Amino acid sequence: MEILSLLSGLRFVDTLFPSGGYAFSSGLEAAVQGGAVKDSAQLARYVEDLLGGGMSRREAVAACVASRAGTTGNQAVAVAVAVDRELDGMKLGRDGRLASRQMGRQVMKIAAEQLDGKVVLRSYLTAMEREKAPGHLPVCLGLTLGACGWKGEEAVAAYLYQTAAGFVSAAMRLLPIGQREGQSLIEGWLPLIYRISREVTPVPLSSWSPVQDIYGMRHGCLEWKLFRS
Amino acid sequence: MLASDVAVSKKSSDREPTSSVGRVGELRLEYVWQDRKTIIARSHCTSPWHLFPPIYLDDTGSAYTLLLNPSGGLVGGDRLSIEMTLGPDAHVLISTPSANRVYRSLSETSVQVVDISVGRGAILEWVPEPTIPFAGSRFRQVIHVTLAPGATVLLWDAIASGRMARGERWAFASLENEIWIGTSSGQSVLERYHLNPAESGGVGLATAWDYVASLYLVNDTVNVEVWKRLEEQIAAILEGHPGSVLGGVSQLAVPGLAVKLVARSAPDLNAMLEAMWEAVRAHLWSLPTPALRRY
Repeated sequence: MEILSLLSGLRFVDTLFPSGGYAFSSGLEAAVQGGAVKDSAQLARYVEDLLGGGMSRREAVAACVASRAGTTGNQAVAVAVAVDRELDGMKLGRDGRLASRQMGRQVMKIAAEQLDGKVVLRSYLTAMEREKAPGHLPVCLGLTLGACGWKGEEAVAAYLYQTAAGFVSAAMRLLPIGQREGQSLIEGWLPLIYRISREVTPVPLSSWSPVQDIYGMRHGCLEWKLFRS
Repeated sequence: MLASDVAVSKKSSDREPTSSVGRVGELRLEYVWQDRKTIIARSHCTSPWHLFPPIYLDDTGSAYTLLLNPSGGLVGGDRLSIEMTLGPDAHVLISTPSANRVYRSLSETSVQVVDISVGRGAILEWVPEPTIPFAGSRFRQVIHVTLAPGATVLLWDAIASGRMARGERWAFASLENEIWIGTSSGQSVLERYHLNPAESGGVGLATAWDYVASLYLVNDTVNVEVWKRLEEQIAAILEGHPGSVLGGVSQLAVPGLAVKLVARSAPDLNAMLEAMWEAVRAHLWSLPTPALRRY
């Protein structure tokens, strides 16, 4: 990857980027309150299962397809819209669905405004504003990174890394997990993220993470909550 | 006697090889609302499907139809299809007399494809018994439901981990499931998964459970507040069997609700379905749950 491409895309994955990700736990808060995740070992299994079963053939595929559309240019917007809409229909939990849309919208608004000459991003933002595209995070991030010159597998790795880091960030507020342990968790997930990124292909979206899906759905019913998903 | 004519279509008549008899079954049903009840206006059925006339369990005119496959289950290479059309205002309740058993197959997949069109103002309640994929079985199910404006679908789908009494859990070779519900606005709901426990190292956190089920409710004319109240009611029901059932309910991207749950036993699963179904019927249609007659 060109250094300039790396830098252009890196800021959209950086925790400094104002996507609002700190406000979401992707169902982890409900899992912690439900007693399913009490320590770092259980968190590791919960996230590995979600990355491998739930996201490897859904969000990862969507990010990959969108990244290629972002690289191809404006004529590929329809491809990204189609995968975005399908992803929307597959996200059964309202809180998680809205969280993904909100973070995606933040990415696309800033990317379309600041990445000069990337017509595909402006076209996609227009599609979102006209409610033709829901604007989910994997699609918006994939499009943006593709437009920056990142390959599909690189965009997928970035999306999954960002997701994994988000879980650790949420876990440090929900569980007795410190920063060193958090870093150790991320290190442990890297081989899986690497494998998913290398193996991802544009297949029909599918997903199997029923337990995590259920906790994502249960979040809306929690009596007290720190997070919005 | 069915209030219908049996349409023998050229599509499947006199051209199937002998080897496919009883293996490639087609069931086509066209329901219409007529004289204050739903009747089967046209039908077509090939072995192994067996079609009984609809049963009227109450005075609402709702047609209760059992999907009957007397062969005892699906074996590798079986290809069953169901095409169903519900005319405007028809009300159809579909179930099965027993679990859908899928037998071990060394190579070929058993396939069941369901394609349903629900007309304006019509109601489809799809409440089959669970699918039990035996150890080594290969199964692919596709259910597509297309809704006209004002149409309602209640769709229940449950899979078991296997034959638990034999110590058989999550031991099938492959299981593909796709449920798609499309609305008149062009939006849709999609659940799709593809499991190969042996190749992928299991089924993840679901391993601890013996049933995984989904319930979908969609109608594009029901007020969002009605869905919200029903969501609260179902959420309370899902808390009724702590430790035995874990479930969640949420509003979908289309007007409606999705429920996802895992359960430890068939009685737990059935208790959840009965309670949720009762709540839905009372809430949406002010109707009690019918006592299903099974043979």
